[in-house]
Amino acid sequence: MNRGVAIWRCVKCRTGFFPQRLLCSRCHGDTFEEDRVYEAMVEEISTIRHMLGQTDWQPRRIASVRTSDGQQITVGLTDESEPGTVIELFEENAAPFGAAKK
Amino acid sequence: MHANAAIIGVGQSAYTRRPQPGQSTHTFIRDAVVAALADAEIDPREVDGMAVASFSLAPDAAIDLAWKLGLSLRWLVQDSNGGSSAMNMLGHALRAVETGAASVILVTGGDATGLGGYAKVAANFNIVTQLHLAPLGHGGPNGVYALVTSRQMKTYGLQKSDYGHLAIAQRAWAAHNPYAVYRTPMTMEDYLAAPLVADPLSRYDCVPVVAGAQAIVIAHPDRCPDGRASVRVRAHRASFNYDNQEGDGLQTGISTFAGELWRAAGIGPEDIDVASIYDDYPTMVLAQLNDLGMIPGSDLARFVRHNIAERRFPLNTWGGMLSAGQPGGPAGGLNGISEAVLQLQHRAGARQVEHARLAVTTGYGMTLYRYGGTAAAAVLERLE
Repeated sequence: MNRGVAIWRCVKCRTGFFPQRLLCSRCHGDTFEEDRVYEAMVEEISTIRHMLGQTDWQPRRIASVRTSDGQQITVGLTDESEPGTVIELFEENAAPFGAAKK
Repeated sequence: MHANAAIIGVGQSAYTRRPQPGQSTHTFIRDAVVAALADAEIDPREVDGMAVASFSLAPDAAIDLAWKLGLSLRWLVQDSNGGSSAMNMLGHALRAVETGAASVILVTGGDATGLGGYAKVAANFNIVTQLHLAPLGHGGPNGVYALVTSRQMKTYGLQKSDYGHLAIAQRAWAAHNPYAVYRTPMTMEDYLAAPLVADPLSRYDCVPVVAGAQAIVIAHPDRCPDGRASVRVRAHRASFNYDNQEGDGLQTGISTFAGELWRAAGIGPEDIDVASIYDDYPTMVLAQLNDLGMIPGSDLARFVRHNIAERRFPLNTWGGMLSAGQPGGPAGGLNGISEAVLQLQHRAGARQVEHARLAVTTGYGMTLYRYGGTAAAAVLERLE
């Protein structure tokens, strides 16, 4: 588990992206540097109660969040955070997760 | 205006939730192709063009399908734009007939993934899904559109029951479609009592995966069978990656071309008699209708309670994918086009909309990350 979530910042115009892009959609710059964001605000949540092809599925929570840098990303929620909660971000491999800031 | 190309025949296979041994994507497509050619009164030897889209044709490609169908062609397209593949292929086929690249084109799509196969497609839809969504247990498109639905409810003041009006109205239409997998009338009590799948989406908000296929035939309007009105496309527009996934998903790519579409068609949204709007989720039906300018004042709540609940607007008159089933996005989109053709040819039987002359059809799909990235729409007209 890594603290924060990797984003990719355009070297030319400084816009940060998640997921990674090939060209910047703002200035079409082709060089990015990796950066990290650590906090986000929960905007919408859902509980995934059923998964096709799974018989022993345990409900999981996901959320659409806006990071402190402005990206709107989808994360797995590991606690009972509700919309409006500020969460701390972390990632497992390349997957973003979050839980309420302590 | 596509004056020299028309949709002259439509056909489909049976739809089933669980394909049996011996049934495959290929056999469903074959059944749809045979039905469409019979409907168009076209000999297979006359077909010189084909477009196909499917999530489960691989490792075969379009050329393998042409070979296995015994079709020798001079125009061949394979489309990979999911829910807007059907609309995309329609546009390519119209232009191909008009420019002489081919004279009789089969446009087909089908899938038979089974439920387990569909789950694999959903978890591996693109690299972003594999890396950033599937490991969350996001539930495939259900999870993605659950979040979009919450956003739409908040933005437009919609209630859960508002989506129910749409699902219930489409189920009522499906009762008259012998191919629909769900035809039993649904009440609001049924809708609201259905188990949640991905809050706030419940069972009847999520398109049921089926196996099946659809096909349509494009040729010069003169090739339309005697005694049947041919169906011409007044205007067709498409959009791909319209906002780089930087919006809220409550608009679709249709918003980028709707005005141009209506101007090219020479009519307005108020002139439409029947609509086939791509319905993987009720949320996206409302979003597309709004983008088309078909919801006065963008008052989604009033529209669904007044126009849909009270059956004032003929929408997805075959039951839509929500009741008929979704045999993959490509064939699901073709089903909407086929239904519009049947309606405009006054061949829709018990679900016929009286005096239908103009229809709008749409496609929407390819969930890139937070919502779909492809959309297309066409205005269809009955030629007397």
